[in-house]
Amino acid sequence: MLEKDRVVALDRAALSAGIVAGMRRGGVLTLAPGAVIRERDLTREAELVRGVAFALLHFTPHVVLAEEAVVLADVSASLRLFGGIRPLRRLARETVIAFGVTATLAVAPTGQAAWLFARSSGGIALTLRSVDRALRRVPLPALPPARPYAEWFDGLGCETVDDVRRLPRAGLKKRCGTALLDALDRATGAAPEVYEWLEMPPAFSARLELPDRIEHAEAVLFAARRLILQMTGWLSARHLAIARFVLELEHERGRAAVPPTAIEAALAEPTSREDHLVRLLKERLGRVELAAPGIAVRLDAKDVREADAPSESLFPEPGGSPQDHARLMELLVARLGAQNVTRAAPVADHRPEVAARWLPVGETVRSMPPPSGLPRPTWLLDSPVQLIMRGHRPFYGTPLRMVSPAERIEGGWQDGHLVTRDYFVAESGDAVHYWVFRECTGARDDREPRWFLHGLFG
Amino acid sequence: MSALPRHPEDIDPELWRASHLAAGFDRVVLCGHAALAAELPGGGWLAGALTELLTPQPGCGELHLLQPALATVGSRPLLLLQPPHRLQPAGLAWLGVPAGQACALRAPRTADALWAAEQILRAGTCGALLFWQSEVRQEALRRLHLAAQASDILLFLFRPLAAAQATSPAPLRLALRAARGGIEVTFVKRRGPQRDEPVFVPLMPSPALLSRYATLDRRTSAAPRPRGVSPALVDATP
Repeated sequence: MLEKDRVVALDRAALSAGIVAGMRRGGVLTLAPGAVIRERDLTREAELVRGVAFALLHFTPHVVLAEEAVVLADVSASLRLFGGIRPLRRLARETVIAFGVTATLAVAPTGQAAWLFARSSGGIALTLRSVDRALRRVPLPALPPARPYAEWFDGLGCETVDDVRRLPRAGLKKRCGTALLDALDRATGAAPEVYEWLEMPPAFSARLELPDRIEHAEAVLFAARRLILQMTGWLSARHLAIARFVLELEHERGRAAVPPTAIEAALAEPTSREDHLVRLLKERLGRVELAAPGIAVRLDAKDVREADAPSESLFPEPGGSPQDHARLMELLVARLGAQNVTRAAPVADHRPEVAARWLPVGETVRSMPPPSGLPRPTWLLDSPVQLIMRGHRPFYGTPLRMVSPAERIEGGWQDGHLVTRDYFVAESGDAVHYWVFRECTGARDDREPRWFLHGLFG
Repeated sequence: MSALPRHPEDIDPELWRASHLAAGFDRVVLCGHAALAAELPGGGWLAGALTELLTPQPGCGELHLLQPALATVGSRPLLLLQPPHRLQPAGLAWLGVPAGQACALRAPRTADALWAAEQILRAGTCGALLFWQSEVRQEALRRLHLAAQASDILLFLFRPLAAAQATSPAPLRLALRAARGGIEVTFVKRRGPQRDEPVFVPLMPSPALLSRYATLDRRTSAAPRPRGVSPALVDATP
C-alpha cells in the first residue's frame, strides 16, 4: 500500500521479501517484482470507518468518529442490556469481524484513554486506577500532541505515556503547549471530554464499491452484508424496524450501460434483525441473474416503521412467537417463490374445484368457510380423470363399487362454469375410497354418462 | 453386584431391551388409536424425530390416521410440503384436521424442498410438518432426522411403498394399506420387537355411508331369566 509514493502498509509476505515501510515504488519492485501495489484511498478508508461506526450503533446511540480511524462508542448506558462489558465487547468484536475488517478493541472509562489503548495494543481498563497502570505500557508516539517533541522526550528517557505524566506540569506546559497536558488529563479523567456524536441521517442510503467486477449475484452478499449491518445499526439507534428495502447492483458504465439491477424485499413483519435480513437477501440473490458484471452495491431503506418493544414475557412461548413464524414464511417465500407458498382460503361454493382455493401467503382475503358436514376427500385432483367402464361399472385398477348415495352438485351458472354432477364415494377392490362423479346428461344427449375420478380420501 | 439396574432405561433413556418396546420419551403426541398406541414405542407419535409413512398411493387414509395427533398440535400452524395433489380444506375440516393455519408449500426442486424442511424444523414454529418426497437420498434423510431432533415438531415423511427396501435413519417406519373400515399398519422398523402381522386401525367417520351388509349389533342380549315357578309356591298349593 503506497501513499505519496512511500510504503505505508504491507503484509507478511512483503516483509519477508525485505520491504519496509517508507520504501519507494522502485525499491519495492526491485525486491519483489510480483508485488501487488495499491494506492491508498483516503475517501474509501473514511467510508469504511464510517460504516463501522454505523454498525456499532447497535450497541449505543453515542458513537463518534475519532482521529486516525478510531471509532469511540460510549456504552456506559448499554451495559445492562447486553449483559455486562465482556459480552458487549464480544458482540462488538463479532460485529466488526462480520463487517470484514480487523480492529483492535479497547475498553476504558474515558474516551481518550480508550483511544490511546486502541492505537497501541488494545486492552481493558475498567477503573481509573487500572488506566494509570495501563498507561505505563502505552508507547509515547501513540499520543499525537507528543509526536513533534519525540526526539526531546527520547533524550529525556521518556518512553511511555506514564513517563511524561511524571514530568513537572509547568515545564511541560511551557515547552509543549497545553494540548499535551489536556490530552493526558482527559485520559485520566481529570478534565472533561466533549464529543460531537455521530449524527444519524433521517433516511438510510449507503453505497459500497465492490473490490472487483462481480459476475455472480451470490458474491455480492459479502458487500450487502456490510450495508445491512450499517442499516440495522442505524435502525436500532433510531428505534425503527425495516419493512421494505431495495438493494441495487450497479453495472459497469460505458458504451453498453445497463440500468442497475434492483432487488426489492418487502417484509410482512418489520424487523431490525441483521441475521434474518442477510438470510432473506441470500435467498433472493441466489435467484437473480446478472445482466452484466456489477461494480457497486447500494442499499436504500424505503419503508421504516416504529419498532415494537421487545417482548418481556417471563416464559417464552413454546414453538416461538408469531413473529418467528412470519420470518420463517418470508424466508420460504424468498426461496420458493410467492406462488409456491400457499395457505387455505376456502370459498363458500359447492363446486369443489372452486371451494378448494389456495392463495399465496401474502394475500389477505376474507375467508368464507364452505358448507361442512358432508364427506369430502382430502385430496382433489387438479383435473378429473375419466374412468373407463367395464361391465357398466367404472373401473380404476379394480371395479369400483358405490358406497354412498349420490350427492348432486349443480352450480356455477353465474360465472359460466356450469357443472352438473352426481358425486359418489366409491370403494375399490383393495378397500381404497375414491370420490367419483357421473356427468348428468340430458334426455336429448344420446351418449352414455361418463364417470370421472375427482378426489382421494387421504 | 446387587447395584445392577433392573431396567436398561434406568441407565439411559435411549436404551431399551430388544424384546420390549422402547419407552422413556418425553415428547410424545398421543396417536389417538388404542390398538396402534399399544404397538408404538412411547405410546404415540414422537415429536422431534423423523417418522416415515410408506403408502402405496396418496389417498389410502394416511391423513385420517394422523388426525388425532394433528388436532392435538392444532394450535400451531400445520405445514404441508410437496403435497401430491391439491388439498381440499373442506375435506380437512370433515376429517377434523384444523385447516385454518395450514400452509401448502411446493418446491421446484428436491434440493429446495429439503432446504425448506430444514428451515421449518430449525425455526420450530409450526406444530407438524408433513412432507411428501419420493426420491430422498440417505444423507438427506439423516440431515432431516438431525434437524428434527433439535425441534419439537411432528415430522412425517410420506414415501412410496417401494422405499421400504431402502435403509433409513428414521426410528419409526410404518407401511400403510387401506382396509375395509380402516387402515392396516405394518411395522417396517420400530424401536422394539419385530412384528410381522399388521395392526388394523378403524377410522371413523368412514366416507362409506352405505354398507353392503346390515349393521350387526354385537351387544349380547340380556341373560334369560328362569321362568319356572318357585318351588315354595308349588309347595303352598294344596
